[in-house]
Amino acid sequence: MAERTEANAQDRPGGPARPIVEFVDVTKRFGSTTALGNVSISGSSGTVHAVTGENGAGKSTLMNLLTGVHRLDGGEIRLRGKPVTLHSPKDARAHRISTIFQELTLLPNLTVAENMFLGREPRRMGLVNRPEMRRLAEKALARLGINIPPQTYCSALSVGEQQMVEIAKGIAADAEIFILDEPTAALNAPEVEKLAELIFTMKAEGKLIFYISHRLEEIFRFCDEVSVLKDGRHVATHPVAELDREKLVSLMVGRELGELFPQRVPQQDPQTMLSIKGLTTNPFPPKVSFELAKGEILGLAGLEGQGQRAIIRAIAGIDPPISGRVEKTGDDPAQPISVRPTIVAVSQAGIGFIPEDRKIEGLYLPLSIRQNMALGMLREQSLWRPARIKRDEIETLLAQMRVAHADPRQPVGALSGGNQQKVMIGRWLASGVNVLLVEEPTRGVDVGAKAEIYSLLREFSDAGGAVLITSSELTEVLGLCDRILVVREGALIAEFDGPAATEELVMNAALTGTHENQELEGAA
Amino acid sequence: MSWLNILRFPGRSGLGIVPIGVPIVMFIFISFASPNFLNVQNLSNVNAQIAALLIVALGQMIVAICGGIDLSVGSVLSLTSAIIVSVDPALAVPLALLAGLVVGVVNGVGVTIFAVHPLVMTLATLTFLQGLALLILPVPGGDVPDYLEAMVDFSFLGLPAAFFWCLVFATAAAVVLRSTRFGLRIFAVGANEDNAARNGVNVVLHRISSYVLCSFGGVMAGLFLSARVASADATMGAHYGLESVTAIALGGVLLAGGIGSVPGVIAGTIALGLMTNGMNLIGVSPFVRAAATGLLLLTAISLQPRKAIGA
Repeated sequence: MAERTEANAQDRPGGPARPIVEFVDVTKRFGSTTALGNVSISGSSGTVHAVTGENGAGKSTLMNLLTGVHRLDGGEIRLRGKPVTLHSPKDARAHRISTIFQELTLLPNLTVAENMFLGREPRRMGLVNRPEMRRLAEKALARLGINIPPQTYCSALSVGEQQMVEIAKGIAADAEIFILDEPTAALNAPEVEKLAELIFTMKAEGKLIFYISHRLEEIFRFCDEVSVLKDGRHVATHPVAELDREKLVSLMVGRELGELFPQRVPQQDPQTMLSIKGLTTNPFPPKVSFELAKGEILGLAGLEGQGQRAIIRAIAGIDPPISGRVEKTGDDPAQPISVRPTIVAVSQAGIGFIPEDRKIEGLYLPLSIRQNMALGMLREQSLWRPARIKRDEIETLLAQMRVAHADPRQPVGALSGGNQQKVMIGRWLASGVNVLLVEEPTRGVDVGAKAEIYSLLREFSDAGGAVLITSSELTEVLGLCDRILVVREGALIAEFDGPAATEELVMNAALTGTHENQELEGAA
Repeated sequence: MSWLNILRFPGRSGLGIVPIGVPIVMFIFISFASPNFLNVQNLSNVNAQIAALLIVALGQMIVAICGGIDLSVGSVLSLTSAIIVSVDPALAVPLALLAGLVVGVVNGVGVTIFAVHPLVMTLATLTFLQGLALLILPVPGGDVPDYLEAMVDFSFLGLPAAFFWCLVFATAAAVVLRSTRFGLRIFAVGANEDNAARNGVNVVLHRISSYVLCSFGGVMAGLFLSARVASADATMGAHYGLESVTAIALGGVLLAGGIGSVPGVIAGTIALGLMTNGMNLIGVSPFVRAAATGLLLLTAISLQPRKAIGA
């Protein structure tokens, strides 16, 4: 607590001690757009300083000024009180700044030690001094309590371990300022715990950590101070202790949390659209059975890696199930028809799948928005018919979905995460499916776009569709879904009514539920 | 780390059952198929035949680890041959090296700064240099400087000169890969150039340097080969571009970048050399041999992943 007031005092010029990093009226323009305008933020040693805001708010731009990737257009950066110019990542490193990018930069064919010293290898008589390199790497890893042998090739490490090595790399370089860019994006729960330990160790060593994230839980858990950016402007900097969730979200988006999720309309006479019977998936033996009703958004919740992904992918035909059946009730003869678990058969049955990693599995990034959407519309067409792109329909759909784009000919890769996700959804809407399977509907999407994606999904279900989602964000499942199934070790262990469920109930089930109740769920 | 462990955890060496096994199997097979194979004269002959290919392949390996490919290296070999008989003997080697440097820089700059695909870029230099070499020396012949001939025509401890040429270049390449900053960093660049750059590696400089080293390999092989046959030929290196690629692919060097080792390249070169020699001994037509090389290249590449490991 004392530390925080001190940090605040330091913000004022002439305070007792200067902060280690100061952005003073920093401005950055890309062409005619101002990415950052007169932002002034400062951070002191031994604190974790969150930088948050929606995607496109400027948080990455701000940090890239500090990593030497971008150059300033106005204002200055002061390190330890002195103005500096940073031209390259090398410069930043010389000023003892270490960046852990969201996309980790370790090379898989180099060992841990080699990766840690790449670009500044210790030498003896002109040649790389490997024993010294190994010794220094071991020392840095030990200082953080990380138990990875420095001779391991990085291809053998998990994402979490790689991130630890990245942090140790900064420690080995004797960095004082660390920038963590969305560090938990690819971590599972135990890895997040390890990261938490590391962050506290680093803090105790007097490092300044800029923590870029829009995950509120983490900001409250890890950070001492939080700076909020919006549209390239600095909104506010507060000690985290003075804020609560609602306040922080309203600083970020200027709206309350409750408005994030669309209204749920209770269905009068639920009609089954999809029934899953006795599905088993690799490596989960339990049989899974449930039904998805018309107009419903059903969520598969649980800890990460418990089989939600295997179930939804089995239904989608991506990783076909080992046994079990999926039946879809058709519209005209309202008879359940068995769906073969292949990607083509599933989509022909009117079931769309939106993968978690839309960049790799979902979209064609270099193709235009229009072409990406048209691929959905043309799905049913014979291969040899001329592919006519219905431009008007696509424009209307894009406008309906509020996809922020300059031109439908723009490549999809140039859009923000939220807008890419909308195009992904739009592609299925254009192709006229009535069941959507969505993995992590808002991964890598900022708060503003989240609300719009939620309402898109809700409109889809209200119009007679049905949606099945998996999500590792509990707030999302609770706020969006009509019904929640909790998955643990591949089995359905609890069912909750969306509006009635609470975070505690679902978490309790996810952590302590057992297989025994699964029969009960199968009957439900 | 024991030898068996290297097979199980090849790291970035690319060594495995295929690179190590193929030459051994060939060796055993040919020694049964042809009684003349195992005599000292023939083995030293094999050594001399593969020395030039090995020198070229080591350079090719450096380019490949860095994520590129250099088809033009064969033309560099031919050009070197043409140059050394056409100028003053004292200037022969420096001029050949200068030519190698220029070619390497042009290839490297084209690939990095002008972003031309390495296959296209080096195919263009291959064609250009072949023309240039023929312009300088339209008819094979000429006098190779005596000091060069002396360097390939000695024997020491009963071992032929070709063996020492191989030893020197293999050792030099191994030291570059294992113990220099350049060696470590080209592995990084080959695996993922963006990430290498984020770690402060100058990608452009390393790429260009890799092409320069490869061209130097071509120059050295050209000196060796011309001196050995005591005559120059402006088409001498025509096959070396593709053969060196075949040799490194057989030796476990990942053509997409980031994986490779000197022992692997030696194994790959020996495999290719044994194939040639074996077919000669058994009496197979040289045209069949060329076709077999093509098949071998296709097979070796089919066994490799297409993507760089860090992409």
